[in-house]
Order: sequence, then C-alpha cells, then structure tokens
Amino acid sequence: MGNKQTIFTDEQLDAYQDCTFFTRKEILRLHGRYHELAPHLVPMDYTNDPDVKVPLALIVNMPELKENPFRNRIVESFSEDGQGNLSFNDFVDMFSVLSEMAPRELKAIYAFKIYDFNVDNYICKEDLEKTLNKLTKEELTPEEVNLVCEKAIEEADLDGDNKLSFADFENMITRAPDFLSTFHIRI
Amino acid sequence: MRRMSVFPQHGRALGNLGLSANEIQQEVENKTSELVSDLVNLSARARFQAIRSLPMAFDERKRMRNRVNSVKHSKTIIPANCRQQVSRSFRRFRAGLASAHRYLTIWHDTLKDIGGRFGTSVLSYFLFLKWLLKFNLFSLIINFCFITIPQIVHAPNISSVTGFRGLELLTGVGHFNQTVLYYGGYNGEVIASKPVYNMQLAYFFTIAAYLVLCGVSLIYSMSRSFQKNFVLETGPVSGGAWRLLCSWDFSVVNEKAIQYNKNNLAVQLKESLSERLQEKDKMSLSDRIKHLSLNILAWLISLGLAVGCSAGIYFLGTDQELAFSFNHNPNDLTAEASTLLLPVVVSLINLIVPLLYSLISKMESYSNPRAKIYIIIVRNIVLKMSILGILCSYWLNIVPEKVSCWESFVGQSVYRLLIFDFIFCLFGIFYGEFLLNVIGTTCIQSLGVPEFDIARNVLDLIYAQTLAWIGIYFSPLLPVIQVLKLFIIFYLKKISLSMNCQPPKHSGRAAQIQTVFIALLFFPSFVGALSMVSFTVWSLKPSDECGPFQGLDTPFHTIFNWTASIQGPPETNWVWWIFENVLRSELFYYLISLIILVITYFLWQITQGRKQLIKILRQQIVNEGKDKAFLLNKMQNLQKQRRESVSYSPQDYDQTPHFNPNWMNTLPLDM
Repeated sequence: MGNKQTIFTDEQLDAYQDCTFFTRKEILRLHGRYHELAPHLVPMDYTNDPDVKVPLALIVNMPELKENPFRNRIVESFSEDGQGNLSFNDFVDMFSVLSEMAPRELKAIYAFKIYDFNVDNYICKEDLEKTLNKLTKEELTPEEVNLVCEKAIEEADLDGDNKLSFADFENMITRAPDFLSTFHIRI
Repeated sequence: MRRMSVFPQHGRALGNLGLSANEIQQEVENKTSELVSDLVNLSARARFQAIRSLPMAFDERKRMRNRVNSVKHSKTIIPANCRQQVSRSFRRFRAGLASAHRYLTIWHDTLKDIGGRFGTSVLSYFLFLKWLLKFNLFSLIINFCFITIPQIVHAPNISSVTGFRGLELLTGVGHFNQTVLYYGGYNGEVIASKPVYNMQLAYFFTIAAYLVLCGVSLIYSMSRSFQKNFVLETGPVSGGAWRLLCSWDFSVVNEKAIQYNKNNLAVQLKESLSERLQEKDKMSLSDRIKHLSLNILAWLISLGLAVGCSAGIYFLGTDQELAFSFNHNPNDLTAEASTLLLPVVVSLINLIVPLLYSLISKMESYSNPRAKIYIIIVRNIVLKMSILGILCSYWLNIVPEKVSCWESFVGQSVYRLLIFDFIFCLFGIFYGEFLLNVIGTTCIQSLGVPEFDIARNVLDLIYAQTLAWIGIYFSPLLPVIQVLKLFIIFYLKKISLSMNCQPPKHSGRAAQIQTVFIALLFFPSFVGALSMVSFTVWSLKPSDECGPFQGLDTPFHTIFNWTASIQGPPETNWVWWIFENVLRSELFYYLISLIILVITYFLWQITQGRKQLIKILRQQIVNEGKDKAFLLNKMQNLQKQRRESVSYSPQDYDQTPHFNPNWMNTLPLDM
C-alpha cells in the first residue's frame, strides 16, 4: 500500500501500532487532532521525534474533554510531569487507554489514578469528596456528602485502613460490569 | 502474567524502605528481565495484547517491545534483515485486516454521536438493532443465492393471476401471490444443470443451516455476555461506592446530557441515603400484606389481559367469513382488505396493552427498581409470546385443512403482521413520542419530556425478529422486509430521540439488562420459532398443489429419499450408514444426553470450588491489609527508635541500612 505521508517513519508507525490499540490511520488522524490543538507549536513532521508538549489549558478544550468533569485529572494522569502537559506519545496513550479495546485491568489502573486527587496512591475520603463535588455540584448538602463518602469507603475498603488502595478499587471494579463501557471516550 | 508496579514513583516507594539507589536499580532491572522473559514465551497475538496492556508510559513500552523483539529474533535462525522484513510485513497485514474490519462497520459515526449525547444504555438499543440487522442480512443473502436465483433462472415462471395493484404492498396477496416471495412460488424439481441441483434439498438445507447458525451465534453471545456481566457478582454490590466511582459515563460529551446525568446521580444518591436511613424501621405487617395483595392483583390483571387478547385473536382468526373468503375469489378487493383486520388488531394490542401494563405497575411499589424493570419485561414477553403462540397453533392446526396452498397463506399472514408492526411503530414514533413531547412541554408541564423506554423498544424488536424467524420457512424473501424495516427504524428512532426524548433516569445495570435481552432473544423467541419450523418440517403434510415439497408425506422425507438414493454407490455408502444407524437411532441421543449431563455436573462442581476460592482470597486480602498495617507500624517504631538512639556521623549518612547490633544498649534506661 503506498503511503505518501511524511509525518512519521514506518518504524515509528509500526511502534505505535504495536504499543497502542490504534491502527495506522487512526494514529495519523490523532496526529491531525493533536496538531490542530496548537498549530504553531506542533510540527507536521515527527520523523525525528521532536520534544513538544501541548499545555493542559489547550488540551482540555477538545470537544471530547471539554464538558467532562474530570478533564483536568484525566490529562494530568497521563502526563509525565504530572502537570498536564502532554507530548504526542502521552496523547496517544491517553486515548488508547480510553478506547474500547483496552482491557479492564488497564482501565482500572488509570481510573484509580484519575480519582486519586492528591496522588498518594490511595483514594482517601477527601478524594471521594472532591469526586462527589465534581459529579453533583451543589445538589447535596455537606452532611450528605460526608455520609455518602463514609458509606462508599465502608463498602469498598477490604483491608480496613479507611482509604481505598488499588486492590480495593480493583475489587470493586470487577463487580461493576458496566465499567468497561462507561470508562470510554470515543475519538 | 506478572505486572510491573503500577505507580511511577516506583523507585521512591522502594526508597522508603531504606534501600540504596543501586539496589533500587537492580530490583527494577530484575523485574524488567522477568517481564521480558514472560512476554517472550507467549504466542504472538497474546504477546502484542500484553505489550499494549502494560501500564507504563509509551516510551517505556516501546523499549520493552524492542527488547522482546530482539530476544525473540535472536532465537530464530533466519538472517536478520529477512526476519525483520517478514515480521514487519506480517504485522502490517494483521493491522491492515483490523482496520479494514473497522471500515466495514456501518453507522460508526452515528453511534458515536448517540453515545455521546445519550449515554451507553440508550446506545445499547441501537447496537442491538444493528446486531439483528446482521442476522437478517445474512439470511437474505443465503436465501437469495441458494434458493431464489436457481428458481428464477431455471425453473418455469408461474404467472400471476392478477396484475399489480397498490394493495399488494399491504396484504401480500394478489400479484405477489405466486411469486418467489412465498413458499408457493418454488417448485421442487431437480434442475438438470451440469452438477444436478436438487431444489428440494437446497430449500431444506438452506433454511436449516441458517437456523442452526443463528442458534449457535445466539448461544455464543448469550454465554459470553452472561460470563462478563453476571458471574463476578458475588457479595454485596450496589450502593454509594460503585455508583460514585464506576458508573459515571465518560463517553457523554454533550453539555446538557452531562448536566442531566449529574442531576440523576444526585437524585440516586439521595435516594440510597434515605433508604439507608429508613432501613431501620421495617414495614409493618399490614403494609406488607397490602403490597403483596396489590402485586398479586396486578399480576392477575396482566395475565388476564394477555389471555383475553389471545382468545380474541383466536376467534378473529377462525372467523370463517373474514379469513378465508378471499381465497375463493382472488379479484375481490374487499375480501382482500378484510384480511388486514387481524394484523391491525394484533398491532393495536401490542401498542396499547404495554401502556396499560406500565400504568398498572405505577400503582404497585417495589423495593428494588431493578425488580420493577424485570417484572415489566416478563409481563410484556408473556403477552407477546402468547399472541404468537395462538397464531402459530392456528396456522399449524387449522389452516392446513382449510386452504389449498397453506404455506403461502401462512407466509402472507406473517408478511402482513410485519408490515403492520412497522406501520404502527411509525405511528408510535409520531404520536407517542412527538405528540407527548409537545404536550409535555407546552400543555401539561408536569409530564415533562418523554423518556426513551429502552425495555419496550427492545421487546418490540424481539417480537418482530420472532415473526421474521417464523416466516423464513414460509416466505424465503421475508428478510428483505425486515432489513428495510430495521434500516428505516434506526434513522427514525435516532431523529425522534434527538428531537423528542430524554435518556432514561435509572440507567444502572445496563450491561445486565443487555444480557437479559439476548437471553430473551434466544429463549422464547428463537427457540419458539425453531420449534414451530421443526414441527412443520417434521410432521405436517406439505400442500399438494404448490411448493417444493409437493407429493411428499412430510418435508423431512426429502432427506430419506436422498439418503436412499446415495445408498447404492459404495463411495457414499458411509453417509447413509451414519444417517441410518447413528442419527436415527435413539441410543445415540441417550448416550449424548448422559455424557452432557455428566460434564455439566463436573463443571458445576468446579464452579462451586472456585466460589470457595474467591471467598478465601478475599479474606486473604483483608488479612494482608492488616499485616501491612502492623508491619508499617512496627517499622515506624523501629525507625523512630533508631533515630533517637544513634548519633549521626558523616560516613554513616548514606541510605544503606545500618544495623547496630548493640541497639538494645542504646535504649533509654527508664524504658
């Protein structure tokens, strides 16, 4: 098949195909989307692996992420510096994990990272309260928020340390068969 | 499959244990080489899937993949560049196949849009529709290729009695009567082309093969869906935690829809909180009796309605003047139009009675909203299947004696039922959803925008598909109607959804309800259609004047004739032998049933054992947590003591653990 694209070398495209859940055409389309986020920053020619990172503020304006309550946490979890500046590899990674072909275990790992607001490898009560506030805004009173978070930890905490470790979270995910289809962003 | 540590601060976590930088690096390197050797030992496909699923950043994954490839290549004896060329072209071919497969999926963008605006549970209705469309397309293609084309090309055309009038589209008789649309348009002669083509066998085997393939595909989907969505549900589920963390739909991108979902979540959380507070006071005895009697009353009314409707249809169908008068005079338009009465009544029942059911269910109260949905589904299925059952028994018992070409008659009845189901679906979209929306927003504000009722719509699809499966034997080109219908309904429902409806409020457990729908498509729907067709083929006498099986005792006798014909020549004798002594002997079936029962028992025991194992492992997780807390505590105490007791000297100030054997002497004396 003649490919006249000059954005990536063939080895690069092979590497992307082997290491993510996307095909060649989808990678090229993703590059197009990445480029239009910051046209003066992102080069069209990626053959020599330029070190370019698009800042958080531009990425969360994508239509797929714009209205998502967790957009900042999603982008931060996939960035190397933790501040939300994504290189193209991180960008592809993000949508690869959020695509429908990623397995449950991989999605659980990143879902845990997203809900872990203070990045201490545990989902503690404050993390749950922040999650709840993002999901319901002003609908619930502070007492109700408190009750819900306590109840959530009580249900899911297996090892009794009053916060959810990754094992607790994964245990809960296995009992939620909808998770695979809801933790999914189409691009 | 061993996993690398999840968190990027891997080194830092180890550093907290007091190891040096070198030791940390050694540890990471060990883990990496273990992972690489694990990956190398997998098959190619599993290896690629495993590499893609590694929870590391992209660059590390690429490095891992290069290492695995180099190890893999060093083990083979083909020279280097040839190896790379071959493997690269192979991988590209596989990837090309995958992307081609994704091109073939129709409606990809439309489905993405629907999912983005209404969420996954509404999307599941459209995916179900697409799946049914695939069944019908497949049936259409094989029926057309194997049955219709030989008939059109080789066999003599049976000319129609009347010209084309518009009424045919609705009633299916008249001009369509003797065409290849129905069973009567085929005759069973052996076409004398180069390889002899036996139309009887072709008809029989095509329909049989299609039904068997459908059954296999349904069983496979059902078991996979069951395994994914039901099996892991042990222990208490539902409640705040999973609703909070696992059920947020990330695929919704529309602002209004997200606001709507947020409101829903808040309402559901408030409900579950108030339930928790109310759990304390149990219901009094009189309340429980009241609820129970209401439930029983509702069930009685529903079943009564179903029985009443079936009886009404039965009497309508057997009414002599209505049903059969047109048969005597094919040019009588009014008689033809009177055959439309039955489908209209059936479709009206299918439209109105489910609404009555949902009204009835409003007066009951259930502890569990899921139970409510299941009960509504059961009642609707009972209604629809009893109607279909009555119709089938009427078609199989009464019609063969009354009408000359009875299979075509049945085919025409099914055709009419399908067409009217489609017309009433259009009415439902227009009057039901559009008008309700207008009323709800302008006149009676309290009603609000109508919700998209997934259960009712899916059950309508299942009912139509049952009809299509029943009708395949009697009218081989019936899937054309079904395909056109599904296409049009997809687009109309999508438009109606965007303009008129809002997504359902209680959308939890969509995956489990999906499994229930697939199971319903298999159990009453497909099994019913299959048993009806099997009964027709096995024991009913085919009509004498038309159709491919004229003159035989039962259509199944074609198989006997065929096996008798191949009994002679020695090279096909083994087929006859297998047929006669294995497939026709009862002993064979007893043995098979016995073996299957034994295997089922073994598998059930294995499942029980695994449930025990899961319970034990869960307990182990709890214990590990307690151990970890205990050890962390002890280590913190030890470190505190070490810091208090040992004085720092410059050469000691590195990270290697410095175990002081005299630590006991350094404790304060008053401890």
